[in-house]
Amino acid sequence: MITRISLLFSICLISACASSGGATRTGAPVSTSEPATVRGQTDPAASAQEPARSYPVQVPPQRVDIPATADTPPPPEPAPETPRDRAAPPGTPASTLLASVDQAMAEGDFERAAAVSERALRISPRDAYLWYRLASIRYQQQRYDEAEGFARRALSFAGNDRDLSRDINALLGQIDQR
Amino acid sequence: MWWLIRRLIVVLVAAIAIWCVWIDYKIRRDFSALQWALPARLYARPVELYAGAHLSAAELTDTLRRLGYRESSQVAGPGEYTANGSRVSLWTRGFSFWDGDEPSIYVDVDFLGRRVNALRGNQATGEIALARLEPVEIAQINPDTGEDRLPLALSDVPTDLVNAVIAVEDHRFYNHFGVDPIGIARAFVTNLRAGGIVQGGSTLTQQLIKNLYLTEEQTLRRKIEEALMALALELHFSKEEILGAYMNEIFLGQDGNRAIHGFALAAEHYFGRPLDELDLDELALLAGLPRGASYYHPGRNPQRATDRRNVVLAQMMNQGFISQQQMEQAQAQELSVSARPTQRGSGYPAFMDLVREDLSRDYDADALQTEGLRIFTTLDLRVQNTMEAALNDAVAAVEVPPAPGQAAGAPLEAAMVITDASTGDIRAVAGSRRPGYTGFNRALRAVRPVGSLVKPAVMLAALESGNYSLASVLSDAPVTIELDGDNTWSPRNYDNQMYGDVYLYDALQRSLNLATVDIGMQIGVPDVVNTLRELGLTSNPPPYPSVLLGAVNMSPLDVAQMYQTLASNGFRSPLRAVEAVTTGTGERLARYGIETEQVADPTSMYLLEWAMQGVFERGTARNMATRLDRNLPLAGKTGTTNDLRDSWFAGYGSDLAGVVWLGHDDNRETGLTGSSGALRVWTDIMSKLEIQPRQSFTPADVVFQRVAQQAIRNGNSRDCSDTIMLPFREGQLPDPATSCDNNDSLLDRLIDRVRNIRP
Repeated sequence: MITRISLLFSICLISACASSGGATRTGAPVSTSEPATVRGQTDPAASAQEPARSYPVQVPPQRVDIPATADTPPPPEPAPETPRDRAAPPGTPASTLLASVDQAMAEGDFERAAAVSERALRISPRDAYLWYRLASIRYQQQRYDEAEGFARRALSFAGNDRDLSRDINALLGQIDQR
Repeated sequence: MWWLIRRLIVVLVAAIAIWCVWIDYKIRRDFSALQWALPARLYARPVELYAGAHLSAAELTDTLRRLGYRESSQVAGPGEYTANGSRVSLWTRGFSFWDGDEPSIYVDVDFLGRRVNALRGNQATGEIALARLEPVEIAQINPDTGEDRLPLALSDVPTDLVNAVIAVEDHRFYNHFGVDPIGIARAFVTNLRAGGIVQGGSTLTQQLIKNLYLTEEQTLRRKIEEALMALALELHFSKEEILGAYMNEIFLGQDGNRAIHGFALAAEHYFGRPLDELDLDELALLAGLPRGASYYHPGRNPQRATDRRNVVLAQMMNQGFISQQQMEQAQAQELSVSARPTQRGSGYPAFMDLVREDLSRDYDADALQTEGLRIFTTLDLRVQNTMEAALNDAVAAVEVPPAPGQAAGAPLEAAMVITDASTGDIRAVAGSRRPGYTGFNRALRAVRPVGSLVKPAVMLAALESGNYSLASVLSDAPVTIELDGDNTWSPRNYDNQMYGDVYLYDALQRSLNLATVDIGMQIGVPDVVNTLRELGLTSNPPPYPSVLLGAVNMSPLDVAQMYQTLASNGFRSPLRAVEAVTTGTGERLARYGIETEQVADPTSMYLLEWAMQGVFERGTARNMATRLDRNLPLAGKTGTTNDLRDSWFAGYGSDLAGVVWLGHDDNRETGLTGSSGALRVWTDIMSKLEIQPRQSFTPADVVFQRVAQQAIRNGNSRDCSDTIMLPFREGQLPDPATSCDNNDSLLDRLIDRVRNIRP
């Protein structure tokens, strides 16, 4: 009798051990960077599944390697760059941030480049070069409408800077052809 | 008989076995999928430090305190600062922003008045041009469970805290299998000796189970189930996994309707600082809380909390985790619980409304409540707090008291929206004159006629048509306009006067209704509606002539959008409250960048701006000119509606644009014009914010010319003894009848002068 009970009990434990392999796949539940599931869900199947992402992932696709087909336009030429020293003297907030913009562009993270340009614009909102920079980032992202808005804004602040005005007009010309 | 008993036993055992299997299954399923519902956290725009930044030493230290920085005589690590006259030294904590990681650095900030004069690093950091503080968390969107936590990997939990918890709660943690009979026996003896409960017999594993399944029930069945679950948990998961989950799961306090779970959040809650900045005595205090977060609450029961902390420290010493000296030092510390403002969750309800509205386009409520998103907003705490501090008094100062004998109704209400003049970022919002008011949000939902606030759009439409200049002569004379059917419309001026022939710029500055209707009817109402929509109006008002005088309903936010376009010289940028959304670990999910579109010709905008600056110099806002003499030139426009029901002012400098609305929720009369009400409130707040003067580039095709001060249609009676200099578009010069420049000969001017010498 007693052996029978202990047998059953050990079966209970063994079954627990044996079935452990497949189910315990995720391991430590401590880092929760993934979208979380509310604990205590009524449907046991739901909590075992990968929770559905209910937010849009809006990070725009990076269009570095788009092949030139009939449908997709070829990747645009890099926008004309103006020399850095015209934009901001070294050691200023703007030059520091422009270095980050360059770095983000080099890494192909256009959206971060745009974000850092915006951060610089909050510090110097009337800096024509920063607006121009933002315009050329959007141009390279093929977001031409936005690029045009920024380029026109840049032009409105360019004042007597003929070189910069020429560059901005050249960019506007390129946008026009799209 | 025996047979029956044996049958019963077999059935019973089978039932127990099935129960075991079920428990085992449940533990594996729940624990391996254990991911907490995490609230979305909303952040204000972080404070940027750079030479020239608009920030005072007091504002900086205020922000540092909100971020839980500790004031110390010598800044030795992240999260500390020293304020010394015009210098504030601090060590930032660093933060994972969506546009890159901000490093943790030491920086000296020198102030000159209300601006940052210079930044200096130390030898390690070198030259610093720019530093960014961590963003202040302004609100959360909480899960329905009411639980909140900041999940942390076990490797990031300070060793002292892990030791303290093990020492006081379960010092045989590494030696048992989830249940600890020896521990239970020892606790029993200890408690017997002490004559009360000083030690629990529950292992950490059992406590974790208890927390996960949230039952207070103390039945034997419950106890057995708990023990079995603890065994199953130990069977399938490592000690580190269990300890890590415990550190994040355990309940450690209550903050309003928010339950504080896990040590990382408890550190923020009780000390206002991150866990890794806490000292031994503070960690020991937290380690004592699982026993009874309310009973040992350091704020409410400081003595009990201190005693409990000292017990934890003594246990740590007994088990060799700390030396006697460490123990004594820590036990001698005062309790240092932060008295931090509990503004979480409901700090800025009007702004939060806007954020929710923006986010609801892309995120459902569930994602916001459970996925631990980080939402970076455009809220500028300097602007928001300055506005909130001043708004109620500013409104009270203009409020018209009820006539004697008349019952006082609900007090005058207000709404205000302040945006960044060049990007359209919403920097501050008030939905009521009372800060923190969570009811009707007037900034978004008080949709009212805007009165003369439309006049700049009428004038812009005229200037854009190319047929009018600032010196175009309009007729401010009675008019009756036929509407559909037999209806007619006979507008009047606010003061019931008529001013005859007036210049276009003058009609705008003095807000003359009849002259505005004159020009509006010349260019056509549909053109004016088009211009309004170009400026950012989203509704589509029917093109009745009354639109010319502001029979258009807009919320203060709509007005802010329209004036934003004027403030950025004809570039419309959609207002935005949310800049980016990331996961809890800083991975970028969405970004809402600045957009801008040119909707008006720069020269037309320049001319309009000139006229609108005159509103402060000569027009309806001139009564505030002396109070704003450090800020002028500014541009703006007053608005008043029928019977003084709404008082509006919208105006802008080079950095900020602001809209103020005053009125009553039941739409009764306020007794205020735009000029006597909203303008004064606007001035109070904008002068405190040190709104920056407008800076305008003069477009290349603008020329300045003199015209006679008095507008006339007949050149023969032109009076050039008193002139005014106005900007004109090249090729759209003043009518010869009014011009007093170039196109006159010297002789003509001499004759003019002689003619005007009167005895």
